[in-house]
Amino acid sequence: MKRILFLLLIITQFSFLAQTTISGKVTDTKKNPIVGANVYLDGTYDGGSTDEKGEFSFITEEKGPQTLVISFVSFETFVKMDDVSKLKNLTVKLRDDVNSLDAVTINAGTFKAGEKAKVTVLKPLDIVTTASAVGDVLGALQTLPGTSAAAEDGRLFVRGGDAEETQIFIDGIRVFTPYSPTPNNTPTRGRYSPFLFEGITFSTGGYSAEFGQALSGVLDLTTIDKPDQEKTEISLMTLGGGLGNTQIWGNNSLSLNASYINLGPYTEIFPNRDKWVSPFQTASGEAVYRHTFKDDSMLKVYGAFSYTDVDVLQDNINFSDGLRFGLNNRNLYINSSYKNKFGNNWRIETGLSFTNDNTKAKIIDDNINNQENSTHFKVKLRKQFSSRFRISFGSEYFITKFDETYNPLNNQSFNYGFDNNLFASFAETDIFFSKNLATKIGVRAEHSSFSDEFTISPRASLSYKTGKNSQFSLAYGQFYQNPNNRYLKFNQDLKSENASHLIANFQHTKPNQIFRIEAYYKDYNSLVKFDNNNINGTNPNDVQPTFNSNFNNNGFGFAKGVDVFWRQNQKIKNTDYWVSYSYLDTERDFRNYPTAATPNFASSHNVSIVGKHWIESLKSQVGFAYNFASGRTYTNPNEAGFLNSKTKNFNSVSINWAYLIDQQKILYFSLNNALGTRNVFGYNYKNTPNANGNFDRQAIVPNADTFFFVGFFWTISDDKKSNNLNNL
Amino acid sequence: MKKVLFIITIFIATGISAQTKYQTGMQKAFSHWEKGEMNKASQLFERISKAEPTNWLPSYYAATIEILGSFGLKDETKLKAKLTKAQEFLDDAKSNSENNPEIIITQALLNTAYIAFDGQKYGMTLSGKNAQLYAKALKIAPENPRVLLGNAEWNMGAAKFFGKSTKPYCEQIKKAIELGKKEKIEQEFYPKFQVKRAEQVLKQCQS
Repeated sequence: MKRILFLLLIITQFSFLAQTTISGKVTDTKKNPIVGANVYLDGTYDGGSTDEKGEFSFITEEKGPQTLVISFVSFETFVKMDDVSKLKNLTVKLRDDVNSLDAVTINAGTFKAGEKAKVTVLKPLDIVTTASAVGDVLGALQTLPGTSAAAEDGRLFVRGGDAEETQIFIDGIRVFTPYSPTPNNTPTRGRYSPFLFEGITFSTGGYSAEFGQALSGVLDLTTIDKPDQEKTEISLMTLGGGLGNTQIWGNNSLSLNASYINLGPYTEIFPNRDKWVSPFQTASGEAVYRHTFKDDSMLKVYGAFSYTDVDVLQDNINFSDGLRFGLNNRNLYINSSYKNKFGNNWRIETGLSFTNDNTKAKIIDDNINNQENSTHFKVKLRKQFSSRFRISFGSEYFITKFDETYNPLNNQSFNYGFDNNLFASFAETDIFFSKNLATKIGVRAEHSSFSDEFTISPRASLSYKTGKNSQFSLAYGQFYQNPNNRYLKFNQDLKSENASHLIANFQHTKPNQIFRIEAYYKDYNSLVKFDNNNINGTNPNDVQPTFNSNFNNNGFGFAKGVDVFWRQNQKIKNTDYWVSYSYLDTERDFRNYPTAATPNFASSHNVSIVGKHWIESLKSQVGFAYNFASGRTYTNPNEAGFLNSKTKNFNSVSINWAYLIDQQKILYFSLNNALGTRNVFGYNYKNTPNANGNFDRQAIVPNADTFFFVGFFWTISDDKKSNNLNNL
Repeated sequence: MKKVLFIITIFIATGISAQTKYQTGMQKAFSHWEKGEMNKASQLFERISKAEPTNWLPSYYAATIEILGSFGLKDETKLKAKLTKAQEFLDDAKSNSENNPEIIITQALLNTAYIAFDGQKYGMTLSGKNAQLYAKALKIAPENPRVLLGNAEWNMGAAKFFGKSTKPYCEQIKKAIELGKKEKIEQEFYPKFQVKRAEQVLKQCQS
């Protein structure tokens, strides 16, 4: 018995003596020692930290094969499995973590907003606190460089491109009719409320192969995954009101909101240049249902319905009683998306959207009634092989059916329309060679049914970090887009329009400070042209093709320029500001242009200055925005040439003031174009010359120079703390 | 036989007095913490968490140290790296102990670190989440002094921002101190209530 015990003791003793020393040195890739790295045998208590020389040494009683782990913040964790006896005098180089905030990002052409972005140009609150934006996502984006201020239009004009060259997506799924229809020279807004989104990616060129059917730009909005809490939101505004409610139960949540806007009372009190037969009114409702499954997979269903109605007599030199414009639009949009992770670092994202849009327009005595049904289906797979290498690929299918009926005064009726199905596939890879050098290479293939045309678009971008705070990027891509519905409805014997982008970008970031400058060259080919002799019709973009127009794809053009962005926060206490400048040189021969010319929607110089200041003692945030755009072209028929003159410069100063009455009640006041500058967007010329042989003209101006807005926002929630600031 | 019994008792006795590796490890980590050796403390907690994959405490403490160390950082790269690591530890702790009020309020503290760094960027989404987290923790453990104190501090921060009196929360802090003094810790190394810190907060509240 004793012997056995003795033996046992000896063995235990012996095992205590059987110790192994694990040692080595840890450096970064440039052989600088890493101090304070955590070194240990996985699953044991044995380990230590590296010293000033990056060296480590510790004793273990473990035997046989073990896993040595070396981890340090902002480096990739090093793992090595070997017999303990061999884990001696190691030299380990830790690789930089390419996911860390200071790693290179592929960013040529792209602006990101939201907390998930590495470099945020806009913050979520900016959309709602930018003075000139009046709570519109698109309005806030128009203060970024690369966009042209077309204040009478409101849509996004990117780098010399027409508004239709920029596509809008929600969770990667296409929005076919993103803008509320409005009469001429009345700015439109996005249909969707800004507080549904938590992230924005706005690309002004050179974007990923995932996105197609856009010649100039892509805007991808990401909806909120999970609302924070149940709440009810009430808003009362000078223009109408809104009501919202969010419910959460288990893994489900439902947000509903409805709003009604009527410009009637406002135009009663502040009459403007137009005569309203029936005031602009719009009613809209949105619903978002979200369901989270166990493993972070998620289903979202988003539905929006809106109804817009207006009937107006617009002041027009060619119509003594005014130009009658009546419009009635009904729009339904449903977007559902599902994402999930599976297998070994695979991710699937799939989605489906459906749009039904019906517009009845009355222009003078003609009635036009059109109906669009469109569907987009998309599947995307992504595989992450390591943090340095990943691929993604997918396919999508677009179906569009468009029908229009045209009833001129004499009871005649013309029916026309088109069907278009488009199939596309894309594949893309992201490679990080190091923390300082990364590339993204992709290709996209598309096939359109109406033209039986097959296109291939290569895309590539490269980023190199030139210093601790700076990086340089290049991007190149080919882009195709089907001709617009307005052309396709009359003629399907057309092929896709094409653009190629070349972009060079330099970015310098410091905490609370961003500077970026980007130069680009864009080449347009196969743009659609049509004949319509009415080229004196002043603003050539208002000239529309007719059913007997002849069409071809012989248009072409270019756009080149430089965009500069600077943002600084808190350098001046409680103050945040940014400055954007864009220089644009563009000419194109498209539509009914007799020759290549700078289109009316492009201005050579655009400047935006946005500032915000929080006044603690007043519990208020005050904001201001200044927008400048150099003159835009128009055709003066009294002189020879096409688009031969330029308007005066555009200037607008907007201010806003948000006062927090308490944590849940906010009073908001904004004034657009506070100085009442009389801006001119172009001229309408009389169709017939006067007695002296000259054409008289009338300036195209906004229907009111200055616009003010007052709103009261009240949030009711259990915690009595959230507020509606994000709805403004 | 007697001898055998004696030996057995000796063995059992030493078994009781001899500390387990877990206990020595945790104690050593806490002593690093007390000495201000944050990196060493955090790394030791990290190692213990890997060796004790079903215990929530080591990763809970590893997260807490990273979070506390991120307050006052000026460099967003460092902040994000530290808090991302802390989030991994917390997720690990959560997987071992669901609906644990201590972990819930530490998650709220992590969010507060982001908000304190850049309220404009992170405040809009995270402050709502924090309100939710405290509400959830209070529901599970209405008498937990750490939950009460954390909730009161969060509310005080919001009240200060809106220029309101922080007085209404003094009572809650007093209640937390009272409960904290009475509290009996049953699980070894379970988070303790820091009475001194609570008293400092109470002073801020009354001033």
